Amino acid sequence: MSGTKREVMVCAGGGCVASGSLDLVNEFHARLSSANGSVAVRTCGCLGPCARGPLVRIEPDGVLYEEVTVADVDEIVREHLFEDRVVERLCHRNPATDEVVPKQNDIEFFRNQTKIVLRNCGRIDPMSIDDYRAEGGYEALEKAVTSLSGDQIIEELKTSGLRGRGGAGFPTWRKWHFARNIPGARKYVVCNADEGDPGAFMDRSILEGDPHSLIEGMAIAAYTIGATQGYVYVRAEYPLAVSRLAKALEAARNAGILGASIMGSGVAFDLGIRMGSGAFVCGEETALMASIEGRRGEPRPRPPFPAEVGLWESPTLLNNVETYANVPAILARGAEWFAEIGTAQSRGTKVFALAGAVNNSGLVEVPMGTTLGELIYDIGGGITGGKSFKAAQIGGPSGGCIPREHLSVPLDYESVSKLGAIMGSGGLIVMDDDTCMVDVARFFLEFVQEESCGKCVPCRVGTKRMLEILERICSGKGVEGDIEMLEQLGRQIKETSLCGLGQSAPNPVLSTIRYFRHEYEAHIRERHCEAGVCPSLVRAPCQSACPAGVDVPGFVSLVGEERYAEALKLHRERNPFAAVCARVCFHTCEDKCRRTSLDDSVAIRGIKRFMVDQEVVIQHPRVVESEENEKRRIAIVGGGPAGLSCGYFLARLGYRPVVLEAEQRPGGMLVQTIPAYRLPRETLAREIRMIEQLGVTIKTDTALGRDFTLEQLRDEGYEAVFLGVGAPSGMALGIDGEDAEGVVEANDFLRRYNIRGSVPVGKQVVVVGGGNAAIDAARTALRLGSEKVTVVYRRTQEQMPAYAEEIEAALAEGVELRCLTQPLEVVSNDTGSVSALRCARMALGEFDRSGRRGATRAKDEPFLVEADQVIVAIGQRLDPATMLGDMEVELTGNGFIKADQLTGCTSVPWLFAGGDAASGPASVVSAIAAGERAAVGIDAMLTGEEHAFWRTEHVLDTDYDPDADPVPFPREPIPMVPVDRRKRSFDEVELPWNESVALRQCQRCLRCDYGRVPVSPDHAASEVHYA
Amino acid sequence: MSAHGTATRTTAPAETLEPEQHQFIDRVVKAHHLEHGALIPVLQEVQKEFGYLSQPAIDRIASGLGIPFSEVAGVVTFYSFFNTSPRGKHIVRVCLGTACYVRNGKQVLSDLQRELGVTVGETSEDRNFTLEVGRCFGACGLAPVVMIDDDVHQRVKPARLRELLSHYQAEGEPTATPGNGSQPKQQEGAR
Repeated sequence: MSGTKREVMVCAGGGCVASGSLDLVNEFHARLSSANGSVAVRTCGCLGPCARGPLVRIEPDGVLYEEVTVADVDEIVREHLFEDRVVERLCHRNPATDEVVPKQNDIEFFRNQTKIVLRNCGRIDPMSIDDYRAEGGYEALEKAVTSLSGDQIIEELKTSGLRGRGGAGFPTWRKWHFARNIPGARKYVVCNADEGDPGAFMDRSILEGDPHSLIEGMAIAAYTIGATQGYVYVRAEYPLAVSRLAKALEAARNAGILGASIMGSGVAFDLGIRMGSGAFVCGEETALMASIEGRRGEPRPRPPFPAEVGLWESPTLLNNVETYANVPAILARGAEWFAEIGTAQSRGTKVFALAGAVNNSGLVEVPMGTTLGELIYDIGGGITGGKSFKAAQIGGPSGGCIPREHLSVPLDYESVSKLGAIMGSGGLIVMDDDTCMVDVARFFLEFVQEESCGKCVPCRVGTKRMLEILERICSGKGVEGDIEMLEQLGRQIKETSLCGLGQSAPNPVLSTIRYFRHEYEAHIRERHCEAGVCPSLVRAPCQSACPAGVDVPGFVSLVGEERYAEALKLHRERNPFAAVCARVCFHTCEDKCRRTSLDDSVAIRGIKRFMVDQEVVIQHPRVVESEENEKRRIAIVGGGPAGLSCGYFLARLGYRPVVLEAEQRPGGMLVQTIPAYRLPRETLAREIRMIEQLGVTIKTDTALGRDFTLEQLRDEGYEAVFLGVGAPSGMALGIDGEDAEGVVEANDFLRRYNIRGSVPVGKQVVVVGGGNAAIDAARTALRLGSEKVTVVYRRTQEQMPAYAEEIEAALAEGVELRCLTQPLEVVSNDTGSVSALRCARMALGEFDRSGRRGATRAKDEPFLVEADQVIVAIGQRLDPATMLGDMEVELTGNGFIKADQLTGCTSVPWLFAGGDAASGPASVVSAIAAGERAAVGIDAMLTGEEHAFWRTEHVLDTDYDPDADPVPFPREPIPMVPVDRRKRSFDEVELPWNESVALRQCQRCLRCDYGRVPVSPDHAASEVHYA
Repeated sequence: MSAHGTATRTTAPAETLEPEQHQFIDRVVKAHHLEHGALIPVLQEVQKEFGYLSQPAIDRIASGLGIPFSEVAGVVTFYSFFNTSPRGKHIVRVCLGTACYVRNGKQVLSDLQRELGVTVGETSEDRNFTLEVGRCFGACGLAPVVMIDDDVHQRVKPARLRELLSHYQAEGEPTATPGNGSQPKQQEGAR
């Protein structure tokens, strides 16, 4: 046992108590009873990272243990306290490096914070007034009552620039100034601790973790304005906070800090607690005062402001917990010190309650002006489950959301409100792609509608009307005009409501419309909820996530009953390329699988692979013969997944389309760039043959712009043309020396090998880029005999757009990855061939509009990467001039063809487009889906009706017992050929499962589709019409 | 004030107050009646003791504090924490605050409704549980959260709900296996 006296600090914040920290305190006491008091066991307030609780800190070592259980106490006592050995098992691990970080101050979550309000939280025992005084507590109050006048205090506050932390950011000094200068025989100070915003818990943590800082701040306020009585209005949901505050008040009275004479100054002040009773509107100041007075908590118009006519008609100063807690620190350390923190307009710090889909949720305090991205990624540790950030809801039901493209917004009052959100009390909910923004808006509106006190009509009736519209949209019954009506109602409610609740109630709706209008439109027009949330629009989240809308639970359950042919047929209802997708699909279905909440997602792609391997006789889908349609001429330009799917679905409606493919073999990217080790050529050829058998004619070696033009097609009598030419041109690096011998474009490199069977390959290959083309090129080069293949990418590995499993496979095969590396120049030898790539090291900088950190040049010297071949894979584009000729077709901002989301129709009525040519580089399954939509669009254009019979959901007759417990089988990985055997071969690297593995995997499906009847477009009620 | 004066406005035939309940209310009223704004603290204390505010109780509080019955009833019905009908032995509150909502709290609620066979605001047939919805208990870091009485249960998974409830069902039923579920919080904390 070491000589210094140790302390065990157990977090007793509300979060850790819920996780069982009080049991730990007892256990530590029991274990240490024999240690003769050489180790003190104490409780402290909230440390911040609540999700990691219960937390235990050992002082003076500063070591923090996470997720401590009663069973771990023995080990901590034996190892750490008696033997001086840190129990690494319970320490924080840096998620990026997996390194053990024992000391609290070294953990990223804490390192980037600045604590003023939470200065004592987690450091002292909240129940000990001596602890508080030992940290300098009540010195500011003493200084105030002994040596400062009220005006001097207000002057200090003015210099400090402190603004109200309750949300609106009104300058605190001004409020205090009003309250001080309005005459009144009796004045009150009131603290608003009715932290009603769902998602905010900073006030609770201060009350629980450092109640004396609030008492001190309020006492200073009382002295300043001349109040003798104060109230803290706490919500009833916080019983622990109430009891701790009550004990702290008692201790302050006993110490002579509250009562007839504050610290012997002769100035009287006492504080009482008033508990809320579950009414959100009582967070509004006039309603709050009505509630303290014992009345219904209904707001009244202002002016008069509380500073003039407040509690029981007396002048009243009303501030929020965090505002008061700042005051002692300002007086103690000086207004200048405080004013240096934060930004010019918003000084000091702000406490945020970080929650939702973020790794390190909990309480954080950062200087004003910290960017949202820093807060979420540096302190919050990023999004849980490696998902991508979608938006942050800031300011609760009165606030708004901030989307991905504004991650670099500095968090201060003005910047946040410019984006249509408000700082609010500091609740910050992080949302990932699994969140439906329409549903979130509906949620908040339901909340404010329920909490509306009913006194004024705009709020009571207006929010009800808005809620009805939102409910309609979420249940698939939205109509055109709904969005505009929401905007109009929202504006009116904001302008005409009586109090802050109503004036801010429409904010979440208006802000989600502002940034996510396309989601509203998808709900209304396509009856589609991409996030898989809105129950009426979602049969199963996997199916909603699939761009092609494949009935995933359907084919999985059919495979589970060994009905393989039926399963495959069901798959091909929506997606002809079952065998292709079984190999190359990026399976968003698995990302949305609900089984993830239990253990891990169902291995849907693995099941699909097993299913397609059972196909002996090719399974044709249902085709509707039509003599009429057979006569109509439709041309499809481009034989890739989009074009072939378009042909497939047209053929099923009885058309006989012609596919014109530029290369010698159809398949587009599937055959030209996706290597055979991922997608065997025969697999692809078989599914293309199936499409041909349905009546699709494919002409190869026929290139748009070379062999024909779009106008010629029209002249030849084609009534509709689908353009699915992909994005075949590679982008150039735009650096010096790029035209050297040995610099090739990735798609050219892959295309030459895949179509012609050979391509020159270097000994030392450098691939530039981070997408799938880069990884495909790297692995192909390795297989063709390169000695060393290096991929250089300007951002980090996590940010690479290539599929993670492909990157891992490449690394396993020996591809070297150099991230945060930016090419500057291609260096050539005297014969003009490439000899090296000069690169700069990059560092991650601010968040860009893609929601990722931009890479910026690091200060290091550039360095050389030797290479005799450089393969450039930094993006693809469309070359509209060669494709379109003189025809005028509207393009998107990125130079792709502008096509309607629903029908694929371009600005030319007979011209349709889809796949990469319209969307920019995207996935195979997105191209398939675009082909399907265009087929439906073309049919509708030609016949004036929609006939997509495959879009009707099928009724499943597979067995399912909804009451059975989920089977305990784990997710199975897809086996791969061993690295040494696969890395020089183009044979398929993935191996199929055997039947028992596949059947067990099928049983893992939770059958989210069970009992669900989705809204089909025909059933959409149209009881609402806007003139 | 006396026990006789209160029955006049009581219309519900079944509900009357026991003498010791009268005494309790009178004690609370006496302790607060000099304070400004005493009504809400009095209602809170009485509800804490009785579980709900019956009409005779409201009546007695009104006359005790000298506030019209209508005004007291207005306050009682305004705040969601006050109940005017008896409730289950345990109050199950599912948080539907923002953090819990985006972390699948809705699923927890619908599963609980199925499990207990009640909708929000109702009490289970055995009078053991009343199901309610909460708007944030401030444990957002641990979402989704369910509060049963004063215990906050964190990161509740829908599949584990039955087990969670069983700790409260076993309680008070001597036939259940002893030692099982007597300390629900400990079970949760230990995970």
